[in-house]
Amino acid sequence: MNLRMSTGPHLLDKDTTQSLMLDVLIALIPATALGVYFFGVSAALVLLVCIVTAVLSELIWQVLMKKPVRITDFSAVVTGLILGLNLPANAPLWMAALGSAIAILLVKQLFGGIGHNFLNPAIFARAVLLASWPVHMTSYVLPQRLLLGSAAPSGVDVVASATPLLSTSQWSTMDLFIGNIPGTIGEVSKAAILVGFAYLLLRGTITWHVPTFFVGTVALLTWVLGGNPLTAVLTGGVLFGAVFMATDYVTNPMLRVGQCIFGVMCGVIVVVIRMYGGYPEGVTFAILFMNCITPLIDRYSKRKVYGEVKQHA
Amino acid sequence: MSIFTFRGGIHPLKDRHEGKSETRDKPVKEFVAKTVCIPVDTHLGAPSVPVVKKGDRVLIGQVIAEAAGPRGIPVHASVSGTVTAVGKMQMMGKLPSPCIFIENDEQDEWVELTPLGDVEQAAAEKIIPAIQAAGICGMGGACFPTHAKMTLPEGQTVDTIILNGAECETFLTADYRLMVEQSQRVVDGLRAAMRAMKVSRGVIAIEDNKPEAITAMQQAAAGRTGVEVATLKTKYPQGGEKQLIEAITGKQVPSGGLPMHVQVVVLNVATAAAIADAVKEGKPLVSRITTVTGCVKKPSNLLLRIGTSVSDAVGACGGYSEEPGKIFFGGSMTGLCIPDDQVPMTKANNGIVVLNEKQGKSHVENPCIRCGRCVEACPTKLNPMELRNLLDTDKMEEAEKKNLTDCILCGSCSYVCPAKRWLVASFKEAKDLIAARRN
Amino acid sequence: MPKKGNDLRGVFINGLLTENPTFRLVLGTCPTLAVTTSAINGLGMGLAATFVLIGSNAVISLLRNFIPNKVRIPAFVVVICTFVTMIQMLMQAFVPPLYDALGIFIPLIVVNCIILARAEAFASKNNVVRSAMDGVSMGLGFTLALILISSIRELLGNGTVFGINLLGASFEPMLLMVLAPGGFIVFGLLLGIINAIGEKRKAGKEDKEVAAA
Repeated sequence: MNLRMSTGPHLLDKDTTQSLMLDVLIALIPATALGVYFFGVSAALVLLVCIVTAVLSELIWQVLMKKPVRITDFSAVVTGLILGLNLPANAPLWMAALGSAIAILLVKQLFGGIGHNFLNPAIFARAVLLASWPVHMTSYVLPQRLLLGSAAPSGVDVVASATPLLSTSQWSTMDLFIGNIPGTIGEVSKAAILVGFAYLLLRGTITWHVPTFFVGTVALLTWVLGGNPLTAVLTGGVLFGAVFMATDYVTNPMLRVGQCIFGVMCGVIVVVIRMYGGYPEGVTFAILFMNCITPLIDRYSKRKVYGEVKQHA
Repeated sequence: MSIFTFRGGIHPLKDRHEGKSETRDKPVKEFVAKTVCIPVDTHLGAPSVPVVKKGDRVLIGQVIAEAAGPRGIPVHASVSGTVTAVGKMQMMGKLPSPCIFIENDEQDEWVELTPLGDVEQAAAEKIIPAIQAAGICGMGGACFPTHAKMTLPEGQTVDTIILNGAECETFLTADYRLMVEQSQRVVDGLRAAMRAMKVSRGVIAIEDNKPEAITAMQQAAAGRTGVEVATLKTKYPQGGEKQLIEAITGKQVPSGGLPMHVQVVVLNVATAAAIADAVKEGKPLVSRITTVTGCVKKPSNLLLRIGTSVSDAVGACGGYSEEPGKIFFGGSMTGLCIPDDQVPMTKANNGIVVLNEKQGKSHVENPCIRCGRCVEACPTKLNPMELRNLLDTDKMEEAEKKNLTDCILCGSCSYVCPAKRWLVASFKEAKDLIAARRN
Repeated sequence: MPKKGNDLRGVFINGLLTENPTFRLVLGTCPTLAVTTSAINGLGMGLAATFVLIGSNAVISLLRNFIPNKVRIPAFVVVICTFVTMIQMLMQAFVPPLYDALGIFIPLIVVNCIILARAEAFASKNNVVRSAMDGVSMGLGFTLALILISSIRELLGNGTVFGINLLGASFEPMLLMVLAPGGFIVFGLLLGIINAIGEKRKAGKEDKEVAAA
């Protein structure tokens, strides 16, 4: 009889890094599917290029650097897909590929691979692309097909830099919610994002804290400053960013209290950039900034260890 | 009724009912082995000194090893028969344990017993000596001599005894069966302990996934002075001493302190039942209920004599159903692995779990993805991720400052880790090093 | 650092490679990041700093035995300021476009760590010839580093190097590269690559360096 000896626990939870990443991928299915439905083949191509480049970059790096190949944990697929969903459907494919490579190589692998990136790779790549090719990144096409609603004006192919943030009057709330609006592939359909959010919550992949405080702060602060809280939440990338990017494990705080601070600060920065900044949308930079602050938040949010009470209470 | 709990914790093997469904409805069956091998050093403290030699005939309950010092406990023969050897046996520890081997003559002959009488009438000051004489030690796993726990230092007082019936560990149903089938014994034991320690409040704490046990204990406790039953939320490690105290009294045991520093003593329900036997019948601790489950043909709750080998116990359950890959004493969270199936039962052993090759296989560690699950799970509210990073970079002092030594080694962090990191294993190693350095 | 007076070659190589102010000592990063948006800017900044370095190193070396220790830093700064003012006026007169492009960073050469650090660490302890040579090598090392960074940034951010179009008309410039983050990214990557190469070479050269020290 050959018995193995080890310390406990002897049986572990079923969740693995791979299964968590798969959960995120599953949660992204509705947004992906609707994005492709709205924007057609070009959207599918952008997503495909992003994913393939991300996985290939990771594979090539790990082989060249003689590191264990970890592409089977699906984290590169998640990064690629999230970046793709952050691009407009008519984004040039070379740009999508470059963004994916930047995300994986520059942010993830150079800093030590999975778990060591101090920024969310996808959102950093988006920021690089946004700063480098603002025209490509902000000329959104109108949906080719509509779902349920019908308010979109026809006859225009490319809406130059008109995220609905600037001209909300032409879209009904329903269109904003369903996604019959121009925007990046993944962010347009709030309904699909919420379905994904519900799935992630149900599976326990993420907790509600960051998304809720993020979106809540955006709504509240917009309202306080005289804007329309509903349109503020339903336009731009707030919801997508809050659910899929601000909740990245690696780059948000450990403790609940830290996560709440993280969410609130993200929201504040978004509203400040939207209302007073040079860019129409601030989700990308808000999350990037807060990613940088995360170690600080972690350092200063402490909780009381059991038994750390006065000896003679 | 309010349900008590602590913050943090996990629900291990939730989809399999904590691995308990196979045995929870199996009534306790007695099994007596042909031979027993009784280790004399399994309790904490100095090993007992054997007083029999090869060829001696012994009766059940006869002292075969004397207590070493006032904090030690004697060891009793668990079967009647002939001593075949006084030797050694490799157990869970690093070195082989001294053991006494006895061949059962099937006569089931007891030594003459001297009971103290009814638990409410017996002289209170004689109870603790009786507990020591009966060789009782903590039967929940630690095996700390019970009389030593109940003997308080000068000036220390205690106002509550908590009976730990949480049984939060996976797979185990031994305490559950005991509470359902022999609730009276448990309450008697609690009353004896309360009288011995002059404590007015006794709380029997049971997780809310054991409603039958709660009902049985409530019925048994009805009309008994100062005895109450508390319902706990089902959560691991609810039965951890410190977590249990926080749940019941709302007080936290200070870092580095003992339960008595918050005026509480915690005893296991099986220990209480053993105390009842010692007081009412004068019987020493020679058998206990153990759950035998996992890859065995008929998972059961067995009443086993101390010293019964694992292979005999498994044989009583119809044998292995698959080639075993790992066997441990206790539940899957903190169970101690044994090197082979000749290892004998100890007083603290509440379960024998057999895993097959696949379940017993070692797993590969992946990089931490900072998901924070370990932080959430930790019942002591440590930051396992940070501690592990500190240990990996040889910053032991820093880890000590971050309360590494308060870790109760419950294994919750390792259980939930999606990267399957050996968190608790590294903490145990570090805690052992720190303890060695401090001594 | 070799102590022999005739080892000027060692001093020269030192500033250029082994102790390159930008990539090995990581000094003067502020102008490094700010002015490297185009190769010509990098070259101009590098040469201006080289001029100041040579001048200040030489003068400070001459004065090293007369400056009281307690006031040496203000004294160094006065000397450096003199040369900075000279180069500023010269540039304003002869290369006004470059002067405009570099803007505030020319007067800021005064507080460039490289210059003060060399004054303190080298010129105040060595003779004139060696100090001037140190100024030359440090200055050229700085210039080369700036040209390297700015060429990459200009190439990616504008498709050109020294104004010469290298990537063709269809190239869509990566604007980020000429913005501040581009400076950080390129500088960080080059620093990393050079450190990695240095680590590898160090393994082979270890014994030699121990002997030299």
